[in-house]
Amino acid sequence: MDKIICLGKNYIDHTKEMKEAQPEKPVLFIKPPSCFLEIKDNAKIVLPWNRGNIHHECEVVLKLYKKNVIGLGLGLDLTLRDLQKKLKEAGHPWEIAKSFKNSALVTPIKGTRDFQKDWQLTPFILKINGEIRQESSLSQAIMKADEIIHYIDQYFPIHDGDLVFTGTPAGVGPLKPNDFVEMEYGPIKHSFTFVEKFDGF
Amino acid sequence: MDSKKLSHDILNSIERLRIMHDLIKAQNFSAIPKDELVKDLDDELKKLREDFAKLLNQ
Repeated sequence: MDKIICLGKNYIDHTKEMKEAQPEKPVLFIKPPSCFLEIKDNAKIVLPWNRGNIHHECEVVLKLYKKNVIGLGLGLDLTLRDLQKKLKEAGHPWEIAKSFKNSALVTPIKGTRDFQKDWQLTPFILKINGEIRQESSLSQAIMKADEIIHYIDQYFPIHDGDLVFTGTPAGVGPLKPNDFVEMEYGPIKHSFTFVEKFDGF
Repeated sequence: MDSKKLSHDILNSIERLRIMHDLIKAQNFSAIPKDELVKDLDDELKKLREDFAKLLNQ
């Protein structure tokens, strides 16, 4: 994997909940591979809790080969929300709010053929402690898969193996230690727990 | 070509071969047709051999 390309403001309901203006096109940003962690069932995942509110953003993840979608996952684009807000207000880049260790969590990737129906119509769900927090499908997004790839291609060199986080719907919110997370997207079903910081993080 | 670049290219080839392996194992030719994937596989293995040969002769 060369990089993780992320779309922001690709779901109108999320932009509205953030009380921000909807741009003409979704915004693009990048997370380095060092932020990536593949989610394993029953995993315990540490986050930098001492750096302010960390928000979950659940997103369909595309794996690319020759600029085609050859795999799908469900991801969490984790964001230091308070820090991001300060940086945006100051007109500064906000990488440090988006690119920290374990800030790009992704379920194991499944092939497109593993989905029984059109994967862009298939709903994805994020539950925290048994409660549904986010639920949507890529068909509800402003830009769908083919358009996303064409859009990214105008700005970044796409490498085989690159992952694309396709944007988050409404329902983002803060996480805390001991939150139990369940992620579902068609044949993809995984769960894990966030834990308190420990020495060595 | 320096060894750092060669190493980088070799690891990129291995990543692409892994993707091809996953597609072939799943018999998933919906995005990339089978004959195109087979050609990609031949080209990538050829490039991998050449790059390893260069790295060995550094």
